[in-house]
Amino acid sequence: MYRKSGLRPVKQMLMILVFVLVCPAMVFAEQKYKRSYEEYSLPDVVLVNQDGKRVGLKSLIEVGRPVVVDFIYATCTTICPVLSAGYVNLQNKIADPKQRPLMISISIDPENDNPKKMKEYLKRYNAKPGWEFLTGSRADIDRVMRAFNAYIPDKMSHYPLNLIRSPKDGKWTRLLGILSSGEFLKEYMAVVNR
Amino acid sequence: MRSITLPILAVFFLAALSLPVFDAEAASDLANVEQMSESEIMKLGEKMYREGILPSGKPMEAFIRGDVEVDSTAFSCSSCHLRAGLGSYEGGVITPPTNGKKLYAPYRRPPSMGDSQDRAGRYIYAKTVVERPAYDRESLAYSLRFGIDPAGQTFNDVMPRYPLSERDMGILVRYLELLSSKPSPGAGGTEFNFATIITDDVGNDDREALLNPIRLFIKQKNQQMALYKEFLKFDYSPTIDMKYAFHNATLDIWELSGAPDTWGSQLHEYLKKKPVFAVLGGISNKSWQPVHDFCEEQRLPCLFPITDLPVVSDRDWYTFYFNKGFYQEGEALARYLNRHETYSGTSRIIQIVEDSEKGKALAAGFNRGWGELDRPAVTTVTLTATELNNFALIGRLLAKENPSVILLWTGDTVLTALPELLKPYGNGVTLFMSAGYLGQNVLKTDQSLRDRVYFTYPYRLTPYVGIKEGGRDARVPILATAKDLGNRRITSRTVSMLQQVALRGLNLIYDNHYRDHLLDVMGMQMDLIVNDYERLSFGPGQRFASKGCYVLKLGKGESPELIPVSEWVIH
Repeated sequence: MYRKSGLRPVKQMLMILVFVLVCPAMVFAEQKYKRSYEEYSLPDVVLVNQDGKRVGLKSLIEVGRPVVVDFIYATCTTICPVLSAGYVNLQNKIADPKQRPLMISISIDPENDNPKKMKEYLKRYNAKPGWEFLTGSRADIDRVMRAFNAYIPDKMSHYPLNLIRSPKDGKWTRLLGILSSGEFLKEYMAVVNR
Repeated sequence: MRSITLPILAVFFLAALSLPVFDAEAASDLANVEQMSESEIMKLGEKMYREGILPSGKPMEAFIRGDVEVDSTAFSCSSCHLRAGLGSYEGGVITPPTNGKKLYAPYRRPPSMGDSQDRAGRYIYAKTVVERPAYDRESLAYSLRFGIDPAGQTFNDVMPRYPLSERDMGILVRYLELLSSKPSPGAGGTEFNFATIITDDVGNDDREALLNPIRLFIKQKNQQMALYKEFLKFDYSPTIDMKYAFHNATLDIWELSGAPDTWGSQLHEYLKKKPVFAVLGGISNKSWQPVHDFCEEQRLPCLFPITDLPVVSDRDWYTFYFNKGFYQEGEALARYLNRHETYSGTSRIIQIVEDSEKGKALAAGFNRGWGELDRPAVTTVTLTATELNNFALIGRLLAKENPSVILLWTGDTVLTALPELLKPYGNGVTLFMSAGYLGQNVLKTDQSLRDRVYFTYPYRLTPYVGIKEGGRDARVPILATAKDLGNRRITSRTVSMLQQVALRGLNLIYDNHYRDHLLDVMGMQMDLIVNDYERLSFGPGQRFASKGCYVLKLGKGESPELIPVSEWVIH
């Protein structure tokens, strides 16, 4: 059974001290990603989504709502889970589904990522509707990566990249690096309010 | 100014719990952890480390970059630091070792691995701690909570911070201390013991096709070691790579005979007699299931055996296969039909399955693949060898079902009877069979049917001839011909296993002689282009390196060309 320690107040004071000393360093963390503004010409490819449906990439992306794109693969162990956690947090932070962007993850491991695996992946992250996971032939995936200036010859050499498309002018905000969820929301809102 | 979010407050509230010296409850929790047995720690700690599940059964909470909340069931410790805890290098992110042996010693990361940014600045996120002093239990717990190492350096942003209770932290820390703490059986200081497995249904030619390259591999390893010893005699200083690259090696041949349900006990006897570090390939014409199960139970790596009947599992860990064998041909065909409305739009698909391991594996792959595409089950009829010789019976079956697509998962008996059987249906029926199963018997396809009988073919059609502009998959003329049908490629596949997979894996583990680590590093390899498959691709937990299959038809003549009617079908 728990007995209250006489040192508990000391602990509470120390907690506050730790909080005051360390917290600002984390809360005001420096921006660790790079932003640029780009224009991309998308290839007219047909990819497959997590439901096994064939989807034209251009028609999916070039719509009247903001679109976010990243490149991941289902068994990735380092960057992809972080990017996907960013997607989940962005979906959660925007309460109104109508305000949420269309989120697209494009597989860079098309050999392994089939609709079943992609569906399981989205389920694992409790993805809400509006998050599409796309795969395709190796040749089509390569074309898509090249179009976004994100080509890598092998999935093991990938890097964290988020792309946000404004429906107003079709221009993209390119975010290279890992963003906190606050930063991601801020970047997204900057596109929405542009 | 950014607001202070609740998760951060939660982390710092839990910071209080990191001051156990002042807390009687915490001290009591830690004492309880100390009294737990090693097996209990391994069980509970493994669940936390691998699955992100706390001893209470709840998911471990974690935070990235201060406020990105992640669920550790999707993002566990082993995701990045891998099963053996020796870390990894992927996507420009270095994850350092997390086993106690390495944590409790000073660490210096090898230089020039991702800590400088390229011209595009891509690796700025990949900066990790270059050097740190040894951890102790207290500093380790602190770093897991706050991401700060004993030298006061902050971890990379992708490393989550874990607000664990004292008890849970105590269990995790003790688990890390036990993780990869002793070399695996079969690995000495400079020697690896290996085995390969051959079952008694394998003919002598196939047996030699497997053993010759493996024996040569063992001989080369031992010759290298002998040369290395000579090198040292002359007072040369070896590089780190050289120091860990050379090993003596031994090979045992584990011969399995009799009923497959006795293989397990035979394998136990072999392993008891002489432990091995890994099984280098092997060959059987029967299901690999008993060997697969044994390797899972013993946590023994089994690397790319020659089998068309592997165990298809999403969770099993210890056997790497080239592909899913017959199952993969059936699965790929389901995907191919799904994409072609001409076939998938019809409700008249019939699957005729030979009552054998091969027939059933082909049908199982098709059924699973078809079901995953939300297609309704097709009519399936399983026939014995005797029934498959009864063409009148098959004729009545076809008349009853009136199919437009027939999947014929059988040998060649029915193939030769097809011109007669299909007469009533004109050109309205398309057939699909397995080239993997039929081999050279594919050539028995009647000339009149060559536009209507298609075959699944799980091997390469466009041999790799060098790096081309635009990537490694540039197309070259199809060189594979009918002479390649039925070639089991035992030697070429075994050489691929040895030279490009096992050898690479063994070199990369350095002096970390843990079976799980070998599998970890093999799973993190870049894709490979080899003679027999379009692409071998890897990834954490992926155990079937080649994932696709062609659908093709035969050209005319006695030595027909192989004409693909699909691209490499992967989904």
